[in-house]
Amino acid sequence: MMYTFKFQDQTYKIKLEEEGRQTEVEISGTSGTDRQCSFTEKKIPLEFQKIDESFYSIIVDGRSIGAGILKKGKKVEVFVGGDLYEFESISEREREISKGVISGVQEIKSPMPSRVVKILKTNDDGVKEGEGVIVIEAMKMESELKSPIEGKVKEVKVKEGDAVESGTVLVLISSE
Amino acid sequence: MFNKILIANRGEIAVRIIRAARDLGVKTVAVYSDADRRSLHVAMADEAYPIGPPAPGESYLVIEKIIDVIKRSGAEAVHPGYGFLSENNSFAETCEKEGIVFIGPTSEAIRLMGDKITARRIAQEAKVLLVPGSEGAVSDVEAEVIAKRIGYPIMVKASAGGGGKGMRLVRKEEDFKGSLRMARSEARSAFGDDSVYIEKFVERPRHVEIQVIGDSYGNILHLFERECSVQRRHQKVIEEAPSPAIGDDTRRKMGEVAVRVAKAVSYRSAGTIEFILDQNGNFYFLEMNTRIQVEHPVTEMITGFDIVKWMIRIAAGEKLPFRQDDLSIKGHALECRVYAEDPEKNFLPSPGKLEYLRTPSGPGVRDDSSIYNGYEVTPFYDPMLSKLIVWGGTRQEAIKRMRTALCEYIVLGVKTNIGFLRRIMENEEFVRGEIDTSFIERHPELLPPSLGEISPALIAAALAMRNSTKEVETSKQAPASNWKLLSRKLAVSRNPLI
Repeated sequence: MMYTFKFQDQTYKIKLEEEGRQTEVEISGTSGTDRQCSFTEKKIPLEFQKIDESFYSIIVDGRSIGAGILKKGKKVEVFVGGDLYEFESISEREREISKGVISGVQEIKSPMPSRVVKILKTNDDGVKEGEGVIVIEAMKMESELKSPIEGKVKEVKVKEGDAVESGTVLVLISSE
Repeated sequence: MFNKILIANRGEIAVRIIRAARDLGVKTVAVYSDADRRSLHVAMADEAYPIGPPAPGESYLVIEKIIDVIKRSGAEAVHPGYGFLSENNSFAETCEKEGIVFIGPTSEAIRLMGDKITARRIAQEAKVLLVPGSEGAVSDVEAEVIAKRIGYPIMVKASAGGGGKGMRLVRKEEDFKGSLRMARSEARSAFGDDSVYIEKFVERPRHVEIQVIGDSYGNILHLFERECSVQRRHQKVIEEAPSPAIGDDTRRKMGEVAVRVAKAVSYRSAGTIEFILDQNGNFYFLEMNTRIQVEHPVTEMITGFDIVKWMIRIAAGEKLPFRQDDLSIKGHALECRVYAEDPEKNFLPSPGKLEYLRTPSGPGVRDDSSIYNGYEVTPFYDPMLSKLIVWGGTRQEAIKRMRTALCEYIVLGVKTNIGFLRRIMENEEFVRGEIDTSFIERHPELLPPSLGEISPALIAAALAMRNSTKEVETSKQAPASNWKLLSRKLAVSRNPLI
């Protein structure tokens, strides 16, 4: 079975071949924009045990790996070697769609529960890609959220001082 | 000794203080904001009282609320921990007036050392070297003249500052005016006071500090140094003791100087004198922290001295039973601060629920934390999850232990800096002890996992996807426990009929 994952704008393919109790794995990565990546690992024998709900012991060609795994729909969080990887499992069709040009209306969402400190743009203001639109504060740290595209502000959905949840849509930007 | 003390703090330090109090047979009172009802310090303390909304300004920082709970609970003393009210001299003063014992220094010592400019003057009078700079707060014009005299690069710092706020490095004269303006505006919004001072910037400085402890009878000892050079945004990330950069001679001199500064304010309780160490082994007074430090455990590990317990004993009127000569360093200790943050996104805090947690253990491993499976990291407080401390016979052994311990962690649900910490432990410069305060800036390659590290993660992800479609089958495949098989075998062999 072939699995395709997206991680930090890169696509990885991994093939698990199972014959009876034998499992073999083959991994390949495509080259990304910021980090060069091109590797293929050919058919490595693999064996694993699910220790509890989220803890797996995996033995890959004799190398033992303890991994934490949390599956949320199409998203898989994997914790191994101290690092948390957030993979998105994608089908071939979804890959085609994601290659399409970004257009229409884009949302700027709050990445975490926070407070709106300052709104830098108002309705109908023009914005460049990467230009700051809104400043939020969480855990004593301010961060500026930037427009993902060039366009104009369609709607500011919050006001200064508002407390917002993670994922709340703060501003809509239209590509005109 | 006290019968009952109140802990005016939360998180791991509240848990640490509860443990110390328990050792002494002292009852503990916790206070908690609405966001902390499910926090560990509340569950561990003997008594717990709510003090209001999550925002610290409406709960943990409100002196009247804390004093009210102290009175209602009948606690005789209060331990402020670090942060919050720990260096607030009016809180200490209120306690003094109300007849409540403040487990820490006098309000006078906090006041004197809390003002950076006064602290520099005290250090100077105690014949302690300072980094060349302005004698105090300066006007824009004075600042420019002094900057010219001491030469670039220089640092502009907020008089009321801390935690890197209101701090600006200026490398060239033409950048001076702009940086000064920004430092003032940051200082004004962070501390409500825009006065700044300037000092010479030491190239590739190391941050080395001396732990001191004094009793109420004028005895002041030092517990050697800690090196805290590995920092991000002026916040410590990895601390160790002893420092790999200094020898016995510098260690002795630094200790003497620190004790001199502490004596200048008749210091009582635990405190820390911070120094900047340059590449030639010269050290300069930076500031004194009049509280327990986050990184105190590394000192405890190499000296066997329980600092938090002694803070309580000293507050209860006990006398330090040792002399300086009785203390010595044994082995080496490291501390890693585990944060819920994303090193790849400029260390942006990562609040959320800990969906799964496994923590390290083993010989010489100490995990000072207040987290648990299902713990919710809220956006209201510092995102530190845990302090992982290890002890080893040598620095190299401690580093190896730290690597093992970091690899034992499993944290799902929030981003952490654990992998980043592990890569630092594997970095050759770090292993050789070649660190300074710019270490993290110089090593951006350590922030993300290296390319080779992704394969095991991908395999795990694929297994997760595979398993979700074959959940039932997998559970069927689980082998019978070996213990069961063994007991069956034994039962069979013991059967007298066979």
